[in-house]
Amino acid sequence: MNDILVTAMGILTGLGLGKDETLQSLINQNSAIGELKHLNTIHSSLPVSEVRLSDKDMLSLLNYNPQNPLTRTTLLGMLALREALEQAKIDKDTPKRIAFISGTTVGGMEKNEEFYLEFFQNNSKDEYISLHDCAASTQDIADYFGGFDFITTISTACSSAANAIILGANLIKAGYVDIAVVGGTECLSKFHLNGFNTLMILDKEACKPFDKNRQGLNLGEGAAYIVLEGMESAKERGVEPICKLSGYANTCDAFHQTASSPDGQGAFLSMKRALEDSGLSAEDIDYINAHGTGTDNNDSSEASAIKRVFGENPPYVSSTKSFTGHTTSAAGSVESVISILALKNNFIPANLNFKTPMEDVDLVPAQRTIQLPNIKHIMTNSFGFGGNDSSCIFSKII
Amino acid sequence: MAIYIQSISQISIQEPLCDNWFESPIYHRQRYVSSIEPNYKQYINPMSSRRMGRILKRAVTTSLNVLQGRKGNEIDAIITATGLGCIENTEKFLYSMLENNETLLTPTYFIQSTHNTISSQIALELKCNNYNSTYVHRGISFESALFDAFLQFKLNKITNALVGAHDEMTKDMFTLYDKIGYWKKGDICVETLRKSETLGSFSGEVAVSSFLSNEKNEDSICSLAGMNILHKPTKEKLEETLKRLLEENNLTLSDIDAVLVGHSGDKENDEVYSKTKENLFNDIPFVWYKHLFGESFSMSGLGFYVGATCLKKNIIPKHLVFDSPKEILNPKHILIYNHFQNSEHSFILLSKC
Amino acid sequence: MEDLILELKKEIIEVLNLEEITPEDIDSNAPLFGEGLGLDSIDALELIVLLEKNYGIKLENAAQGKEIFKSVSVMAEYIKNNRKK
Repeated sequence: MNDILVTAMGILTGLGLGKDETLQSLINQNSAIGELKHLNTIHSSLPVSEVRLSDKDMLSLLNYNPQNPLTRTTLLGMLALREALEQAKIDKDTPKRIAFISGTTVGGMEKNEEFYLEFFQNNSKDEYISLHDCAASTQDIADYFGGFDFITTISTACSSAANAIILGANLIKAGYVDIAVVGGTECLSKFHLNGFNTLMILDKEACKPFDKNRQGLNLGEGAAYIVLEGMESAKERGVEPICKLSGYANTCDAFHQTASSPDGQGAFLSMKRALEDSGLSAEDIDYINAHGTGTDNNDSSEASAIKRVFGENPPYVSSTKSFTGHTTSAAGSVESVISILALKNNFIPANLNFKTPMEDVDLVPAQRTIQLPNIKHIMTNSFGFGGNDSSCIFSKII
Repeated sequence: MAIYIQSISQISIQEPLCDNWFESPIYHRQRYVSSIEPNYKQYINPMSSRRMGRILKRAVTTSLNVLQGRKGNEIDAIITATGLGCIENTEKFLYSMLENNETLLTPTYFIQSTHNTISSQIALELKCNNYNSTYVHRGISFESALFDAFLQFKLNKITNALVGAHDEMTKDMFTLYDKIGYWKKGDICVETLRKSETLGSFSGEVAVSSFLSNEKNEDSICSLAGMNILHKPTKEKLEETLKRLLEENNLTLSDIDAVLVGHSGDKENDEVYSKTKENLFNDIPFVWYKHLFGESFSMSGLGFYVGATCLKKNIIPKHLVFDSPKEILNPKHILIYNHFQNSEHSFILLSKC
Repeated sequence: MEDLILELKKEIIEVLNLEEITPEDIDSNAPLFGEGLGLDSIDALELIVLLEKNYGIKLENAAQGKEIFKSVSVMAEYIKNNRKK
């Protein structure tokens, strides 16, 4: 059988470290969006979802004293990955072909922006120079854990981690690896906080996805990784699968660099093709974890696309960015982990802060945690700048 | 399931959009060399190009050049490699942010700074709604992008793909990488690069677009017969992977006419190639290209282009042959072997079709 | 007012990098967005920054731009009435 199983997960966001803390926050509707404390910026009044651990805290939790400095993006990734690898019972001696694919866009920019001017003035911060690029975190995380046979980094903005999942699945299906550890990591930086601010799409209050009066998104930071595995490998290693990845698709809106097309063509194709890939029909999907950033443009566009795919009676929809903020490159895996937690625990996460339905598209999200026994199939959407749109479907194993 | 390179195009520090470098290569002496830019006006309209930095103009131009009029949704996948992304725009936004203390910032530099801008700009120009992704893993970025396409061909998910490698180098980024030993000191000459007695190479820029298809026709240049990428392989793993790659194509080492390597003039980088030659390749001639094109994270994309061009022209000219002053006539199989800091290693097998 | 309109056209050309266009090419009353010059949402954001940088006018959200940037004349009128610099 060609099934791609999910055998482990790890996550770290403003909601907490690990699946248990994350699950509790979701069920109790406790959002992580709040005051900006760590990042040194003039825009400190903007609500964000920060991970409540300093770099020093994270090194301490890892019990690690590295010879060379590590970026915050790397440390977030290490903690999330550790949880996943422990659950999967994978270490550097596991006799399987294992890939590690990580998505990021910020990379080491948070250190780069702090030391940039100094780089040109003296040599005191030179050890940070090579950490600025996207690959640095993937490389440092892989070196820390060891045991990988193939590693690479994807950067497709807000769909990076989702595309890591897709590549991982393809690697397994094509027989090149037995296990693919996939996801993404991203920390807050002044660079992208200011970048999003210039686009005037940051809400000065907590975001309200799909609400008529939504004002934009709140940025978040975090990391999440999923362990994908072929059936044979899981059986041989004696690991219990959590669920399976039944389908996925990657499309491009090709409309504009930052705006989504009004009818959500890229999003429509992404969801439609993920369904086709899975062999499921629209009616089979019980819940859509939407991209739902809270921007005027995305939410209208995505809602239109959902209606086009699912008709007048779409499944439950919610955006958990109302909990974690928009974790950008990590969103695809953060929200996959959240979706799988919902799948396994039979509930629909709330779309917080919703009051008034949009007028242009008739779509009302789930406004509180809803117990839903017998959830079978969940879809998660990640739509990035540049029109990089991806959707993944996770299903219970019956 | 065979994969063919139908067309391939470059803009680099050699003459752009042509193969003139093949007969008459330019030998650069500077450490920092920027691409030779063609006239973009025939490819890109002013309302589009006004926002595009050089890297985007090169990416769009080489893509259009290689697609030869094919329409957007006839292309099943657009996959791009870039080590540094749109670094010029990243710097502009970063400087502006630092100098103006996060005030009065404008959006254009930000939105054109993300790494996936390149791949999505190509899709925008072509109006292509299909698969689109971007790989950013230093010296293995191009192989990663190619591997993604390769896997999808094998799984019958795509019938064709536009795979590209694009990297630019700004003066400031050059200065920073200079601080950490990436570049030679002083003028560049081929013999110094060949001998690799010191650290560093010289800086070039990359823009390569290739159009791959699972259908052979009279335009087909060569086939992408196989490939693999390894992270920190042992000597045995490397050997085993190569053996399997050859066996899958009913070949042995003696069928390989040349190994195209990323010898760059950097002592540490090149030692790995010398060692691998001893362990794996014995008498098979080494061919190199970085002495003409310089060094950049996705430079192996130009290696791919050089290999394909040699197969197209049925000759490897002597200026590309590393260990002897003799050309190689009628090559049938070229193995591209690349490594990055002895951590990531890749094989790409190109065969005459 | 004519001076302001000319100045504005030059600034628009510079800030939006309209390489092939001169002030004479821009019709003061023609739409800037959609048809006419064919500018898009990013250009609107650039113009919002221009308003603040050159004329001290700060807009709170992007939607306000829709009315103000209808044409160069409309924009000039708004600046004349609201400028702080």
